[in-house]
Amino acid sequence: MAQPFRLTRPRKARNAISIAPMIDVMLILLIFFMVTSTYLDLNMIPAVSPRDDAPAAGKVPDRGETLILTIGADGTPSVQGRGLSQAGLAAMIAERLARHPDLQIVVLPSGGAQMQALVAVMDTAAAAGAVNMRIVRVEARP
Amino acid sequence: MKISRPPPKDLPETIVPLIDVVFFLLVFFMLVGRMDATSPFEVLPPVAQTGADMPGGGATLSVAADGALALDGAPLERASALEVLRTRLTQDAALFIRVNAHRDAELRRVLPLLAELEAMGARDVALVVTPGEGQ
Repeated sequence: MAQPFRLTRPRKARNAISIAPMIDVMLILLIFFMVTSTYLDLNMIPAVSPRDDAPAAGKVPDRGETLILTIGADGTPSVQGRGLSQAGLAAMIAERLARHPDLQIVVLPSGGAQMQALVAVMDTAAAAGAVNMRIVRVEARP
Repeated sequence: MKISRPPPKDLPETIVPLIDVVFFLLVFFMLVGRMDATSPFEVLPPVAQTGADMPGGGATLSVAADGALALDGAPLERASALEVLRTRLTQDAALFIRVNAHRDAELRRVLPLLAELEAMGARDVALVVTPGEGQ
């Protein structure tokens, strides 16, 4: 008797690795980064810097010329009681810096002034070339 | 006799270009965006021309126009925010702290914070500003 004749099924093509889950994950990551990121362009002005230039122990810092700059509650900068515009302030600082390159600027803002006023004054002074600047604050005794 | 050619099989749409595009978008958003925690209130930083590029990392202390505080996006009372920062400063003395104060915030609400941070030993504190021409 003849052997039963067997038909072999063609071997199944091997499944390629499915990339659909990868696409899913990538889309979710994409949406995550789109939603959580902020795209504001922000800069900074150092307020407290690492003291690289701290005077060595025992050495008295050289007291050069000091310019005391007050900021009124309305945000107007003034020097020795004279109110100045930002342009006038820039000219004055540049002129003082030309005479005393080590000019130290002490900014004494009123507590009622707004943040923008202080930053504008610091900005003007920095643009005029001042590097040595400190903010001081007068505190009322309770 | 005419034998009709079987209609050409539709080619499966190749999704490889789609994956490429999505991948490029993903990388773009990862590079362009910053992952800073946003503050729970609106903060418009003051405008300045002479600001420097801001490094990432560190802690962000936000000050609203009315003086409310938030540390890394979480609203906190002044004392607890400073306490958290004090703890972080003891762990990492070189912690970079950026103070993101609203441009209309009064200085009496901002400057004492800077003084306290300095007194706590913070050595790297910066004010966040928006680059641009004066107002």
